Amino acid sequence: MSFALNEVEVTAKKATRGAGYDWGLAEEAGKATRWLCIQGLDGPTLLASLLAAGYAGELSNHRPKTLAAPWNGAESLCPLITGSALSDCAATLPGEIGATTAPAILLPFVASAARQTGKPLQLSGSGFSAWTDGDALSVQGSIPAEVERLTLEHAGETALGNPELTRSTPDAAAWDTLNQFAHRIYAPATEESRLLGAGAGLTDND
Amino acid sequence: MSETTALRPALTAMRLSRLGSMHQCRLSFMRQLTRRMAQENWSFARPVFDIDAKGVGRAVYTAQGPDHTYSLVAFAHDLPPEMRSDRVIATAWDATFTLFDGVPTTADLDRLEKNVPFQEAGRVTDRELSVSRANRSVRLWAHVMDALASGQQPDRDEVEKVGYLMRTTAVYGSGKLGAADREKTAHRADVQAPFQIEMLSVFLTRAFVRDLVEEMARAKGGAKAIRLDPAIASRLGIGNSTGLGLAPFIVNHPVLFNNWIEARETAIARVCALPTASADEIAQFKALFDCQKISFAGWHSEHPIQIEKLASLHGDLSKIDAYLSDPGLTGAAPWQALMDWASANLGEEAQEMLASLILEPYGHLVDDLGPTMADNTPEAFTIDGSISIGDTAAQIENSFGWAFDLDWDAKGNIARAWYVSEEKLEPRLGERFNEPIAEYEQPLAPARDATRAYQALKTWDADKPIAAFLLRHPEHRHTVRRAQIAARFPYSEIHDNTIAADMLPIDMLRVKLAFFGATHFDPRSDRWVRICMYQDTPYPEDLSPENADFWTYPTEVSS
Repeated sequence: MSFALNEVEVTAKKATRGAGYDWGLAEEAGKATRWLCIQGLDGPTLLASLLAAGYAGELSNHRPKTLAAPWNGAESLCPLITGSALSDCAATLPGEIGATTAPAILLPFVASAARQTGKPLQLSGSGFSAWTDGDALSVQGSIPAEVERLTLEHAGETALGNPELTRSTPDAAAWDTLNQFAHRIYAPATEESRLLGAGAGLTDND
Repeated sequence: MSETTALRPALTAMRLSRLGSMHQCRLSFMRQLTRRMAQENWSFARPVFDIDAKGVGRAVYTAQGPDHTYSLVAFAHDLPPEMRSDRVIATAWDATFTLFDGVPTTADLDRLEKNVPFQEAGRVTDRELSVSRANRSVRLWAHVMDALASGQQPDRDEVEKVGYLMRTTAVYGSGKLGAADREKTAHRADVQAPFQIEMLSVFLTRAFVRDLVEEMARAKGGAKAIRLDPAIASRLGIGNSTGLGLAPFIVNHPVLFNNWIEARETAIARVCALPTASADEIAQFKALFDCQKISFAGWHSEHPIQIEKLASLHGDLSKIDAYLSDPGLTGAAPWQALMDWASANLGEEAQEMLASLILEPYGHLVDDLGPTMADNTPEAFTIDGSISIGDTAAQIENSFGWAFDLDWDAKGNIARAWYVSEEKLEPRLGERFNEPIAEYEQPLAPARDATRAYQALKTWDADKPIAAFLLRHPEHRHTVRRAQIAARFPYSEIHDNTIAADMLPIDMLRVKLAFFGATHFDPRSDRWVRICMYQDTPYPEDLSPENADFWTYPTEVSS
């Protein structure tokens, strides 16, 4: 099924919150997933597999220990908090990043850094290299689900990106997974909340 | 021209009670739409009207501007009365709609007929720009249809009491239910200003509703049936029943909300900066003030809070009359003087009414602000991690310093929690200490969160970059983002506690509805409100530059 990018963003944000991440990171996940879809990558599938890894409950083990390069976590890095830190450190990026889960999810954050500085960036790891100037993305090779090491460096202006998409057709199973995570943020309905929560009290059938 | 008058500070303009006293103005989205359509000489047609005697079928209303054509696709249903509800949790409606980008083919209509009537349970595509639905006002619909069917015009008093034949209960735009994202149309001049697609949808819906009641009267009364008197039809707007779902919007879209408020505040400042007012400008202002009084005379509410506000407003209208006689508006900087006097002597309802009304004679000075009310700054989302922790704390203090003195452990200050019910995802407001909802709380208490973040920041080295803090404290990331937005967009934050025991959600609803251009706010409880849209607006076929702007100021006394 074809989805609006707004639906992708909202669903990704809710799912990330449902998986236990804080709201600010859930917002980042929404924007990142949307950006991946615009570039033709299956953002919902990438995010669904990351959320299934269950890093949110012990995020301190999956974030860079410090902002001094190279960036390494106690365990494999989560691309949401690591990517957010990359975007935050756009002018002082690390050249090297250690073991990372779902490194493709770093790309929207690398793009954010490129947009902020006006300088294209290249993220490379085992078997792949990805170039972005912030708006466009060009990937050589295939990005693995886990990497041991990544390099991040400034790049030239020459590469061409894929055409930008305006809709997303995510994998149905991944989309279901995201919706299951998203469902966790909804409060179970009670009769009291049904009556009072949205402010009934007077008839609305007149 | 020079703008020598400072904008009102956020500490004044962004108090919730003041936002909850907002009135429509020249920059309201309905008026931007009708002005543009008239200036550009848009043409309107009804290529399909296929409705049976039971009032079931479909219709298409097209609006053609210089660059684009939009079509309202309407489906009329025979709804069992027991299913009629304005709540989000409803599953069927009297009429359902979508705004189509272009002119739909029969195949498009067939596809839409399988989806639009089901609203949230259906799917549309990026050819569609909005999805909406409406329910009849049971009492007025039956009265009008029966009267017309028997060859009589409906009773004016009944029409005035309700004000509309149908009320919309949701208008979804911007990529909801599969519809096109805002990005598809954001670059189009004709829908550049906020909510133009939704407002166009409702404008055309009003014509459909009038046609539908006439058609059903004809089916019932046959040769005896007559058409609705245009003067009565003109008094009929489209009702709207707005619940809590709208309230989080202004918190979740801080830049957009800033742009609405800042445009209006800028307009007010431009007018207040004028050294004098001409006789024509004064005459126009006074004439519209008289019309405003007529409109207010027909503004009724059963809600105690609004009854009190209306009583205060009516008292203030007399004071304004006296002021306009003496000292009047012929002195120096008359609009600034009027606003200064109002802020010292009138309630917020009347102050904000005047703030909107003084803009009316000055379209040439303020209408250019209309397109600036959209949000075209996606980069505002991006956090600048290089800003120091000390500077971030200062940013938070600047927007939320007023909140630091509140006792955030006191039950009354954190009594409420915003949450979303799993039941059809209806946004709700609950009592934190009485219901099991805290773990589902939405991030809609920026003042509390800002205070928490500020306290955490104070324990860190002020010279370090905020990026280092955020790596350790992702729980404050959304607050730091808001603080950076507020530093650039001063009217992005409500300057009140949105989870206090005595907070009124209707204030959050009203400010948004006033920017839409709604009138006659009628709170039905502290968390939902009925309004009327497009009352006295020309119907599409009658729209002209002469009548496209001031229709919000009726000249006829209603009962």
